[in-house]
Amino acid sequence: MNGFAQLLRVSLLLHFRNRLALIYGYLFPAIFLAAFWVLYRHEPVPLVRHWGQLITVTILGSACFGLPTTIVGERERGLWRRYRLTPARLGNIVFGTVVARFVIIVGAGALQLALAMSIGMSAPAHPLEFLAAFTFVSFALLGVGLMIAALADNVPAVQALGQCIFLPMLIIGGVAVPIESLPEWAQKVSAFFPGHYAVESLQACTDGPGLGAVHFDLVALAVPGVAGCFAGTKLFRWDAGRRFRSINGRLWLVPALVAWLAIGVLAQSQYSVAPAIEPVAKPPVKTVGATVPKPSPTPQSPPASKPVVPPDSTAAEPWLSVTAADIAGLNYHVPPDSGVVTPIARPDEQPDEATANALDGIQGNLAIWPLAHVTDPVQRTLNLLSVAAVMDLAQDPVERFLPLMIFEQLSMSIPRDELVQILAWIVLHPEQGRTPNDLADLGLGGVAQSPLIRERADLYAVKFIARLTGRNLSSPSTKPEQR
Amino acid sequence: MPAEVDVRHLRKNYGNVAALHDLNLQIESGEIFGLLGANGAGKTTAVECIVGLRDMDEGEILIGGSDIRRQSTEAKQRIGVVLQSTSLPDHITPAEALALFGSLYRHSTPTAALLKRFGLAAQANARFGFLSGGQRQRLALALAFVNQPSLIVLDEPTNGLDAHARRELHDDILQIKSDGHTVLLTTHDLSEAERLCDRVAILDHGRVVAVGSPRELIARASGHHTITLQTDRAIDPDGLSKLAGVSKIFGEGLTVHLSTNDSTRTIQALLPLLSATHAELVDLHLRRASLEEVFLNLIENDSEKSSAKQPT
Repeated sequence: MNGFAQLLRVSLLLHFRNRLALIYGYLFPAIFLAAFWVLYRHEPVPLVRHWGQLITVTILGSACFGLPTTIVGERERGLWRRYRLTPARLGNIVFGTVVARFVIIVGAGALQLALAMSIGMSAPAHPLEFLAAFTFVSFALLGVGLMIAALADNVPAVQALGQCIFLPMLIIGGVAVPIESLPEWAQKVSAFFPGHYAVESLQACTDGPGLGAVHFDLVALAVPGVAGCFAGTKLFRWDAGRRFRSINGRLWLVPALVAWLAIGVLAQSQYSVAPAIEPVAKPPVKTVGATVPKPSPTPQSPPASKPVVPPDSTAAEPWLSVTAADIAGLNYHVPPDSGVVTPIARPDEQPDEATANALDGIQGNLAIWPLAHVTDPVQRTLNLLSVAAVMDLAQDPVERFLPLMIFEQLSMSIPRDELVQILAWIVLHPEQGRTPNDLADLGLGGVAQSPLIRERADLYAVKFIARLTGRNLSSPSTKPEQR
Repeated sequence: MPAEVDVRHLRKNYGNVAALHDLNLQIESGEIFGLLGANGAGKTTAVECIVGLRDMDEGEILIGGSDIRRQSTEAKQRIGVVLQSTSLPDHITPAEALALFGSLYRHSTPTAALLKRFGLAAQANARFGFLSGGQRQRLALALAFVNQPSLIVLDEPTNGLDAHARRELHDDILQIKSDGHTVLLTTHDLSEAERLCDRVAILDHGRVVAVGSPRELIARASGHHTITLQTDRAIDPDGLSKLAGVSKIFGEGLTVHLSTNDSTRTIQALLPLLSATHAELVDLHLRRASLEEVFLNLIENDSEKSSAKQPT
């Protein structure tokens, strides 16, 4: 048996003989799974909407604690000094150790999947792509683990450093707490954490459109992964006697940190990464539809001064000026329907009884809601989109089913081609029109900041346009416009 | 045929502290070479540089003609090492450890043969955490032989062993030599070095102060004898230190050791002193200096030279 295979074999044997490692590696993920199940018990399909979060927590725990504890513990025992006496290259031994850890994580993930499916979760919609995303996420986070192993002088230091990364990533990195529940500053910060992209990519392969919709996430995982592995190997210490402060080459930390920063900064300009962080009020650089920043010249004056609630508008219909090119130029790179931002239920999904009752109530109220009947079709559409947006922001149980109801209502009341133009007009003119931010008269309690409502409304508008025109949301402009 | 180990102008600093100054050593194939020195003399640093565990600042180290830095793969294939503090994960077994480390070399000895040779066959599948101190030491030796090395490096191998285990290890080391291996040994125990080593180098403050076989070093200190004197009443140490040829006095009271470079004149002068003090001679021994006394003498001389060079 060659060196790599022996290293892998022995690493796995040692892991399975270590009771504490088994508790951390397998029991804790199972406990997390149970906690999520209890927390989201009202959902029709157990855990499926949180699968990306759950798996990310598992990988993150193993990367922040499991891998560095193993490496630092073995270093303290002198095992790595013994490795250094052999002709084996450092990179090969580190690689063997990382691969062994990956196999351990795959085992934990498989256990979670088996448990989740035993309580009713469906298998990931794109299993092979899920495995690919799993590998990307593991790679990125194990790079973080190597950095911790390089920085920590002893095992207690691993725990301290690991917590410094694990907890922020869980709480404000979009891993354990849904990102839209966070304040705006935390949403911005989350763009700098790989955990954010880990959740999105895994979720997209679980009940979303697959990896095609999350290209940026893969880049955002790969770049810090490469940088972390590189810096972790460069800063690697064979000998526990050599303290971190005494070693040369500490500047190798810089590229790893720069990689994180670069991804975060890049994410600020990519809607798909940080959906709710750009204020809507900035007219020309609105993230959705930013590829067509200039509004059509014709509709300038009337809509800007058009009253919102007043029922009638005698002005010319500016949305008619929206062209096929304008529609084709919109940014269709939006969060997946299966994600946590602007979710939409699949057609075959059934709400549970309580959610169905709530939807019935909303449908009845919408029928008599004045804002659903204003004459101006742009404002009417925007009002209805806003209802879905507010429910999304409030994380109301109806959030995934309500957009289908709104879509149906709009489709029935406005001809398809006109509806496409109206929706595109809304997206292209984020500064125009007004969103209702209090839905008390609709019998709904969800209230959110106006810019966020408009942002989510615009996202739903893009998703509706895609449905009406048969576009693929994951790859803009890949399909010819069907008008 | 190149020397098994050829160390040329080795320098190593820790910050501003020089651990090794221009160290030169040649260890011939098939010999047991001892590196002796007090704590902090630089023995472990020298050994760690030789086996490739520590980077040197200057110099060159060749193992069987291969440079430990530039041809480390080749050089490390030839070396087997028993580290001073050796440990393995508690859950690994001797068989697994030997198979793992054997797989990292081009050539390796079959695990079963190593277990048998080092008396670990019965413990082949026992966890490291449950092995006794002696069994761990034998496993460390077995690991050093896993790659069929030509050079075995033993860093303080008998530290912490009881007398029986120490004797067994001495026999093992002699057997290693009989099997045709070269041995580099560091030790504090000078009697051990005297018993085992073909040649020794004495290190002090990172410098080699003497190299040769133990017999040569003792002979080089020819004239150095120790007189052990036992009397029925104590003799004034000042009077003894003034005797002809005496360089040093150890002990006090009824039994005193005199280090002398002219034993005949010292004994001639001693008898009148005994008469004058009315002390009766109970016992008298004359013997040549041991390696330990040569070692202490060399270290002391080196320290005196060093302090003499220090600016005041």
